Amino acid sequence: MSNIDHTIESFIASLAETAVPVRRLWPPFVRASLWLVFAVATILALALLKGMHHDLALRLARREFALELFASLATGVGAAFAAFYVSLPDRSPLWALLPVPGLVLWSFAMGVGCYADWIRLGPNGFILGSSFECLGFIVLSTVPLSAALLYLLRHAAAIRPIATTTLSTLSVAALAGVGQSLTHHFDTTLMILLWHAGTTGLLLATARFLGPSFLRKAMGRAARV
Amino acid sequence: MHAPAHPRLVSHAAAKDNWACLMARAQDGDRQAYRALLIAITPYIRALTRRALRDAADVDEVVQDVLLTLHQIRHTYDPSRPFAPWLATIARRRIVDRVRWNANHTAQKMASVAALLTETPTERHSPQDERNGLREAIDALPERQRHAIELLKLRGLTLQEVSQQTGMSIGSLKAATHRAFKALRRLLSE
Repeated sequence: MSNIDHTIESFIASLAETAVPVRRLWPPFVRASLWLVFAVATILALALLKGMHHDLALRLARREFALELFASLATGVGAAFAAFYVSLPDRSPLWALLPVPGLVLWSFAMGVGCYADWIRLGPNGFILGSSFECLGFIVLSTVPLSAALLYLLRHAAAIRPIATTTLSTLSVAALAGVGQSLTHHFDTTLMILLWHAGTTGLLLATARFLGPSFLRKAMGRAARV
Repeated sequence: MHAPAHPRLVSHAAAKDNWACLMARAQDGDRQAYRALLIAITPYIRALTRRALRDAADVDEVVQDVLLTLHQIRHTYDPSRPFAPWLATIARRRIVDRVRWNANHTAQKMASVAALLTETPTERHSPQDERNGLREAIDALPERQRHAIELLKLRGLTLQEVSQQTGMSIGSLKAATHRAFKALRRLLSE
C-alpha cells in the first residue's frame, strides 16, 4: 500500500470492515419483465375496477385507436427495459433510445387520430372537456407505480439519475395511457391526446425535478455504509 | 498462428480478471478480498482522475467518492461481465461531478472577488461579515463534506448519529471532516 496515502488507506479499511454479503441484482431483462407483469396487472385491475369503455370492441376495431394503443404499450415496455439497463454502470447509455420508436409512433398515431376525427366529426370533434374520473385513474396508477419502479432502480442515483427517472416515468405514463384508453369515455382523439400528452408531460417534469432526489434518498436509506 | 501477446498486456488483462474475481468474493462477504480489490483499483482510479483534475486534494476527494459509490452499489456488479467498464463508469460519473462542482465554485469565487473589489474598506471584517464568509465557505463545500461539518461540528451530533442519519460510514465521515477543514482553510485564506 506504499502508493496509497494514509487517509485513503484508513478509508478503505473502514469500507472493508463494514462490508457484508450483498444479494446481486437479477439480470435487467428479468427484472424489467417482472416489473412489467406487475405494472400491467395493476393497471388492468384498476381499469376493470373503473369499468371498461362501453363499446371497447368497436373502438379497438378502429385502426387509428388500435395503433395508438399499440404505440403507447410499445413506449411503456421499451422505456421500462431501457430504465433497467441504463441504471447499471456497465450498460450502454444508448439503451435510453429504446423507447424512441414507440414514442414517435405514439405521437404519429395521435396525430393521425386527430386528423381522422376532423374528417369524421368536423369541428365538433375538437370540443374540450374534463374528467376527474380520469384524473383519479392517473393518480392511482402512476404515483404508486412510479414510486415502486424508482425504488427498484434506486442504485441509479449514483450513476444516471436523470435518464433513469425520465425513462421510468415515461414507462409508467405510457402504460397508464393504455389503461386510460381502455376506460375513459372520450370519443375524440384530441381529448385522449390532451389527457395522455398532458399527463406524460406533467409526470416527466415532476420526475425531472423530484426523481433524482427521490433516488438518492431511497439509495441512502437502503445502503448502510 | 498468433504472435504471443506482450507480457505487460497479459499481466494487465490478468490483473483486471483478478479484480472481477475479488469483486465476486467481496459480494459474498469476503472482507480480505474486498480490501485487496480496493487497494488494487485505487491507482487505476487515481490515474483516470488525474486525466481530468490536476489538484491533488481534488484527486484524493474523487478517489474516495468513487470507492464510496462502488461500496454503495456493489450489488449491481454482475460477475459474468467485465469489471473494468463497470468501475470506469462509476469513476467517470464522480469525476464529472467534481469538474462541475469546481466550475460552479470558480464562478462563485469570481463573484466574491468582484464583490470584494467594489466594496469600501469600512464594509469589511465586521463579525457579521466573518460569519457570513464562513457560512458561504461551508455552503460551497461538496455535499458530503458539508454534511459532515454541519452535523458533527455545528449541530454537535455524534459520529454514530450522523452515520445513521446520512448512511455514511464513520471512516468516511472522519475523512470528509478532515477534507472539509482543509478546504475551509483554503477558502477562508483566499
